[in-house]
Amino acid sequence: MGIILGVLEQGLIFGIMALGVYITYKILDFPDLTVDGSFPLGAAMSALLITHGVNPYLTLLISFAAGVLAGICTGLIHVKLKVRDLLSGIIMMTALYTINMVVAGKANVPLFSKETIFDNSFINNIFTGEMANFKTLIIVLILALACKFLLDAYLKTKSGFLLRAAGDNDVLVTSLAKDKGLVKIVGLAIANGLVALGGSVMAQQQRYFDISMGTGTIVIGLASVIIGISLLRGLTFLRSTTTVLIGSILYKACVAIALAKFPPTYMKLITAVLFLIILVISMQLKKKVKTND
Amino acid sequence: MKKKMLAVILSMTMAAALLGGCGNEQKESSAAKEPAATEQPAPQADDPQAAKEPEEAGDNASSEENKPASGLVEGDFTIGISQFAQHGSLDNCREGFLTGLAEEGFIEGENLTVEYQNAEADMGIVNQIPQGFVSNKVDLICAIATPAAQSAYNAAMNSGIPVIYTAVNDPVGAELAKEDGMPVGEVTGTSDKLPVDAQLKMIRELLPDAKKIGIMYTTSEVNSESTIAEYEAAVGQYGFELVTTGINTTADAPLAADNLLSKVDCLNNLTDNTVVSALPTILDKANTQKIPVFGSEVEQVKIGCLASEGIDYYQLGIKTGKMAAQVLKGEKKASEIKMETITGSELYLNTKVADDLGISLPDDVKSRASETFTEIQMAE
Repeated sequence: MGIILGVLEQGLIFGIMALGVYITYKILDFPDLTVDGSFPLGAAMSALLITHGVNPYLTLLISFAAGVLAGICTGLIHVKLKVRDLLSGIIMMTALYTINMVVAGKANVPLFSKETIFDNSFINNIFTGEMANFKTLIIVLILALACKFLLDAYLKTKSGFLLRAAGDNDVLVTSLAKDKGLVKIVGLAIANGLVALGGSVMAQQQRYFDISMGTGTIVIGLASVIIGISLLRGLTFLRSTTTVLIGSILYKACVAIALAKFPPTYMKLITAVLFLIILVISMQLKKKVKTND
Repeated sequence: MKKKMLAVILSMTMAAALLGGCGNEQKESSAAKEPAATEQPAPQADDPQAAKEPEEAGDNASSEENKPASGLVEGDFTIGISQFAQHGSLDNCREGFLTGLAEEGFIEGENLTVEYQNAEADMGIVNQIPQGFVSNKVDLICAIATPAAQSAYNAAMNSGIPVIYTAVNDPVGAELAKEDGMPVGEVTGTSDKLPVDAQLKMIRELLPDAKKIGIMYTTSEVNSESTIAEYEAAVGQYGFELVTTGINTTADAPLAADNLLSKVDCLNNLTDNTVVSALPTILDKANTQKIPVFGSEVEQVKIGCLASEGIDYYQLGIKTGKMAAQVLKGEKKASEIKMETITGSELYLNTKVADDLGISLPDDVKSRASETFTEIQMAE
């Protein structure tokens, strides 16, 4: 039971991050490596603000804003300075390492004695007794669903349609007399905002910030998006955003299985094999292989 | 269409095989570190543990040979060990921990089940490991290194499962202990704080004319930062000046080493994981310029540091294991045990390095060395 709870919690926290990766990778068709820096940026922001006594819920919004700024920077580097997409992400990721260090003040900031979104008098009064075990999951679920529905709603606005057009057919955006560069910047901003929000939630759940917590974020994000989108392709009644959240949970479940059943040295290999199996199954499921994947 | 799918599968399998290859290599290298302990319990000169405590090194070989002083403790216990990364010192800690438990009557395979997990330095996984332990309702979690300890305490906080940590450099800074060393909850353990004064004193003895000590550290490791702060406070007393260089990854090490070596009379190495990984490169550069490099623990002296006044991670592990035994027996709660730091230090020397550098080692230093190596072991 506890292990399932853990997988759901971790899966949904990383799911918020994966929603951001979904925007860049799937909608904008932009391989954005900024996330390895913006995920810990959100965490560093939260660590800084929480240690200074700021309301933990407010830190979520500020972390989101910090991520938006990081995304705008990546966008400006790419659009205005004409740096290739992959490179502009790498540049921002590298720069953010220092920014994160400066923001947090040191490489590891513990938050054990502080109030977080999961542990404050208000929440502890609502969740008492047996319910206390589920409070993290419920809060994470609310946050993840809120992000999902807001993102769904946004994608239906005019700006959201332009975003989707920019990824599929940017000539269309230009022909509508819109600046496709601006659309990309907006997309990157929202994406990195979500990633930083995920980082903020992560730091508050694990109760510490560590500078190395961003390493490999992009791998988890891409894996979640790909697992979710390709495995659940057949279930057309689910929105892509929902499948991304499920994909993230499935990825964490793979890791949990690898951890529980096999010797520690083999963990990465087992995770890779499980990932492969899921991909192969999903390829069998779908009718034709997409050529540009 | 089929071909394309085949190609995808093939490339994924190759990638998986590559990953697997790396994993195996690590496993072999960690096994190669304790040849005497795993193959034959007889003491051998190249194995410090076997040479110093032959009877304890025997514990690693087979638990049947082990004779706990107090006899087996009644009952069936399960512990989870969450180790942050594969690393010589951390592995020694873990072995010491199990030996410490065995000496107190908890023997793996008899009355003790050990679930060992290694996060391979992945911050996402280091979180998931203790959650698994908590859901399996283990009796105790042993966490090795700072991030593992913080995650374990966070996961176990509400379940009442005690956490015993080791190799946490600064438990107070990590908010695992209060200023006076008492735990903040059901969490206690041992710190691997380096004996800074002893090390500086030893460097002064070996190099009476040296003025500047260089230290390379990784900016992402808090342990290194807090140790450097201690060095900064202490170097003055011994007439040294401190020069530091921060790096981010092992890839930065060669350039940083060149820069640092041009400014200093000797290098001093901490237990900084990234720098330790790059140590062979640094040693190579330092040797060509005849600049001595001091280590912080025995493994570093083995591969070519001149000397180290460091702590013995195996002993640290034993101490931690005994703390865990107290908690398992129910003698004390984790929250009642003060966190501990090893006070003594062990001197290790490498005479081959001294000869190469043309440094004569004073006899009194030689005589108090816990162990002297006469050759440089090739780094794995």
